[in-house]
Amino acid sequence: MMDGPQNAPTTVMEVTALSKWYGEVIGLNNFNLEIRSGITGIVGPNGAGKSTLFKLALGLIKPSTGTISVLGQTPWGNPRLHSSIGFCPDYESLPSESTGREYLSLVGGVHAMKGAALSERITEVARLVEMNRALDRKIGGYSKGMKQRMKIAGALLHDPDMLILDEPLSGTDPLVRKEIIDLIKRLNKENGHDVVVSSHVLFEIERMTHDVVLIYKGRAVATGDISEIRDLIDKHPHNIVIEGENIGALAKALLDEQFTVSVSYNDGRKGVTVQVSRPDDFFNRLPELIERSGASVTKMYSLDENLEAIFRYLVGR
Amino acid sequence: MDLERAFTGIAAITRYSFRKLLFSRKAVITLLVAVFVAAVMGYAGAQNVDPLHDGTDMLDTLILFFFMPVMAMIYGASLIRDEIDDKSITHVATAPLDRSFSYVGYYIPLACAVAISMFIVNTAGFLAFFAQNDLGGETLEVYLEFTVLITIGAFVYSALFLAVGVLFKKPVFFGLFYAFIWEGFIGSLPGAIQKFSVKYYLRSVGADWVDYGRMSTFEEASDPLASGLVLLGLLVFFVVLGAFVFRETELT
Repeated sequence: MMDGPQNAPTTVMEVTALSKWYGEVIGLNNFNLEIRSGITGIVGPNGAGKSTLFKLALGLIKPSTGTISVLGQTPWGNPRLHSSIGFCPDYESLPSESTGREYLSLVGGVHAMKGAALSERITEVARLVEMNRALDRKIGGYSKGMKQRMKIAGALLHDPDMLILDEPLSGTDPLVRKEIIDLIKRLNKENGHDVVVSSHVLFEIERMTHDVVLIYKGRAVATGDISEIRDLIDKHPHNIVIEGENIGALAKALLDEQFTVSVSYNDGRKGVTVQVSRPDDFFNRLPELIERSGASVTKMYSLDENLEAIFRYLVGR
Repeated sequence: MDLERAFTGIAAITRYSFRKLLFSRKAVITLLVAVFVAAVMGYAGAQNVDPLHDGTDMLDTLILFFFMPVMAMIYGASLIRDEIDDKSITHVATAPLDRSFSYVGYYIPLACAVAISMFIVNTAGFLAFFAQNDLGGETLEVYLEFTVLITIGAFVYSALFLAVGVLFKKPVFFGLFYAFIWEGFIGSLPGAIQKFSVKYYLRSVGADWVDYGRMSTFEEASDPLASGLVLLGLLVFFVVLGAFVFRETELT
């Protein structure tokens, strides 16, 4: 097991000029990335290249060009590396005709676990993902959330250093989603697993980690802390909603400013959405503009404060 | 230590695949084939026949050289291919076990499952035919000889069709061609061409053992020991080929 969050972060995955083509379709294109220990979120829309990255990291496919290193090792043709990685795929991979216990016995067996030690570990992991009561039921009868938990249990069974979780929240209801998010955070904080987790929903990742990689069309469009990514967009148009009394006069005053790109009235004309090119200048000038226009602002918020908006901006640029 | 890990991994895949093969819906196919063979041979046995010669010919034609490759194809060509297609191969592909070892973990239960299935079919056909006529020492001898031939055939054909399953994305088309056209037709042609079929070498081995029916008078038979070695060589070749291809296959 790696030292986890209490020690200085180490590189768990390093990708250099990595490309993967499926015939004429590009999976990843000249992809560069460094993932450090802790929880890292990989975010991108469907088809962005998240699963391709994970398949390359697991050695299920080989790179067309470039290199990928996971825990200091090359994945392709290196099954030993799988001792240190637990993988939860985004697709249905569980055998529906088997029980949870039979499935975990197979997973344990291929990881050279056997006998009483395996039985104890199955019980332990099932308890961790709260599936101990469903262990002897056929997987075909599991709900989506239960299947996700069982896949995570399979990934955890051999106590790997690193977990790769591909869309673990996909198709789950909000309650299960919260439970899985809590579980992932617990696995890192209490059990010391490094976690690389993907999602196409940005706020889900935000609830797990601040270290994110945004992927779009096979490229990493932004990497780092969420605040660093926010800094990136501060140089570009920002959308701010302002509501209150006499907003029309304020809108007119805003239009005279150089940092204003556009102003549009919202439904009911109770507020306006202002698009600004330099948010810092806007916020510095705003008090003076409010006073001069005689407007009374009751509510103001940015449409770009959540990750979803950042992602839309970054991938759309 | 590494070898022990490999054996534990192979054993886990073997146990799992064996249960999957024998206790899945495919087991129904075995039962249906057994019922069909029993009906056909039972009807034939009720006619005016020479029990030993005609009964042996039926075991030869219907079971060993028709259903044997067909059953191996049904079980073998889809075993790994289905798991690749439905992605349930993931737990094996992400195991710390060389995929060529994993392949052996699929081959062993497949060959055993095909052998057991064909044993059931062979026994059903044998009882349906010979129980009406004679169940003496000579017929039991024929039964045992065919049981051994079926077991050998199960291991060779399983190796072949498991390899076909990883070589082709749609193995059933090649499998049907091979089972029906190649083994069924080419393997029955006179002359040297038949030597390119598994059937020829099985018949050559059988010609040395079986004293009744057309198999006993197979004039073009090769030396039984050499034929046995060819069958062993084919088995090893197909297992090694399949294991190599499986190891090098990208699992998208």
